Amino acid sequence: MRGLHPFTLLTVAAALPALAWIGPAPWGGAAALSAAGVLVLSLGGRQSFRVARAAVFTATPLWFFLYLLQGSGGMLATGLRLTTMIAGGVWLVAVLPPPRLIEAMIAREWPVSVAFLLAATLSAIPALRARAGHLVDAQRSRGLRTRGGPLIRLAALRALALPLVLSALHEVDERAMALETRGFDPQVRRTPLAPPPDSLAQRISRWGLVLSCVALLVWRIA
Amino acid sequence: MSAVVLDRVTFRYPASATAALVDISLVVNSGEIVALIGATGSGASTLLLVTAGLAPGGGVVGGELTGEVRRDGRAALLLPTPWTQVSGMAFTVWDEVAFGPANLGWPRERISESVDRSLTRVDVVHLRDRDPGTLSGGELQRVILAGVLAMEPAILLLDEPTAELDPAGAALVWRLIRELAQEGMAVVVATSDIDALPESVDRVVWLERGRVRTSGTTRQVLAGEDLWEPDAPGSTSIAGVWRRAGLPGPVPLTVPDLVSRAR
Repeated sequence: MRGLHPFTLLTVAAALPALAWIGPAPWGGAAALSAAGVLVLSLGGRQSFRVARAAVFTATPLWFFLYLLQGSGGMLATGLRLTTMIAGGVWLVAVLPPPRLIEAMIAREWPVSVAFLLAATLSAIPALRARAGHLVDAQRSRGLRTRGGPLIRLAALRALALPLVLSALHEVDERAMALETRGFDPQVRRTPLAPPPDSLAQRISRWGLVLSCVALLVWRIA
Repeated sequence: MSAVVLDRVTFRYPASATAALVDISLVVNSGEIVALIGATGSGASTLLLVTAGLAPGGGVVGGELTGEVRRDGRAALLLPTPWTQVSGMAFTVWDEVAFGPANLGWPRERISESVDRSLTRVDVVHLRDRDPGTLSGGELQRVILAGVLAMEPAILLLDEPTAELDPAGAALVWRLIRELAQEGMAVVVATSDIDALPESVDRVVWLERGRVRTSGTTRQVLAGEDLWEPDAPGSTSIAGVWRRAGLPGPVPLTVPDLVSRAR
C-alpha cells in the first residue's frame, strides 16, 4: 500500500468519505466505513491497532454529540460518514509520508508555492512544539507556574503564547531572505529529487474512483 | 578579477532616520577573503544583505539604496541563525542540502554530486539521513553551510558563520573558507571571531556606524591601537595580552607571532 503513488493514496482517502456522504444513509456510510476498515487492517500488526485506536478515540465523542442532537437514526447516518472521514484521514497519515507527497507534487509541476505551503506547515509543527518547550523552560525558570489547576494553566498559556507568536513573526523576514538566497522562486520549475513512480493502472484506478463518485452523485440526484 | 564591487553605497532601512551604510566602497576579487569587523550595529550584516542583493529588493527588505552594487556570478548568503534558514521542505539533511540546487533546476545527477561533495566538505556526511529539525544549532549551521556550498556560488557571504560552532567546528569552517578561496571563490565574512582572522583572511574592513573606519591587510588593521578604543571590536587575544603587558614594538597577532618574538 505504501508503494502506491501519493496521488492514488490521496484519491482513495478522498473517495471514501465522498462515497459515504453521497451514498444513501446508512448503507452508503456503512459500506465506505467497511472499506476504510479493510484499508486500516491492511496496514498490519501494531500500526493497524494504532490507526484504529486514533480513529475510534476521535470519532467516539462525535457519536455522543450526534446522539444528543439527532437521536439514534441521525447518529448512525452521520456518525458512519464522519467516522469514514476520520478513518480515511488517519489511514492516509499512516501510509503517506509528507516528503513523498511533496515530491509527487513537484514532479507533476504543481506550483512550488503550494508544495512549500504544505511542507512548511508540516515541518513547522514539531519546530513550534520544540520552541514552546524551550519557552516553558524559560518562563518556569523565571518563576511562572505552569502546573496546577485550569486557571493556573490558562494564565501560563497567555505567557507562553505571546512570545511563541511574536518570535515566529519576528523570523518571517529572515526566513524569506534565507529562501531567496537559496534560489527559491515560485516562478521557476524545481527539480524533483525523488519522484515517486506512477503507473497506467494507478492512473486508471484514480480516474475510476473519481468517476464512481460522480456516477453515484448523478444517480442520487436523478 | 573583481567578483564584488560596491561603489559609494549608502543604504537606509525603511522608517529609519539614520543610514545603516554610508558611502561604502569595496572591491572583492575572486579568490580573496575579506573580513568585516565592527561593534554591534556597525552595518556588517547589512553590508552582506546589500552585497547579496537582498536589501533592498527581492520583496523582503525594503529601504533606499544609492550607489552601485555589482556582482560577477551568483552570490550565496549564510545567515547567523541556522534555525531560520531551514527550508521547511526537507525531511532529511540530504534533502535540505539539495534544496538550493533543486531550486536552480539542475539535473538530478548534478544535484546528487554537488550535495555529496558539500556534505563531505563540511564533515556532516554522518547526518545525511537525519531530520534537520532534530539537529543541534552547530550541526544545523554546518548543514546550512553545506546547502549554500552545494549551489556552487561564485561569491560566498557569511554572517557570523562560527557563532553556533564549537572550536573544532569553527576551525573546520575557517579551513574550508581558505580552501574555497583557493578554488577561486570570493568570500566576504562578517565575524566576531577576531582570533581566527590573521591565519584565515586576506583583508579586514573595520566598520563603525555604517562607515568604513579602516581597511587593509590583516596586520595593518588588527595591529592598530585604535581597535582598543571603547565601542571598537578589539583585536586578537594575543595582541590584547601584549598590549596589557605594555610590551613595545610590533604587536604579535597570533601564537606563532608571539613565539617568534619571544625567541
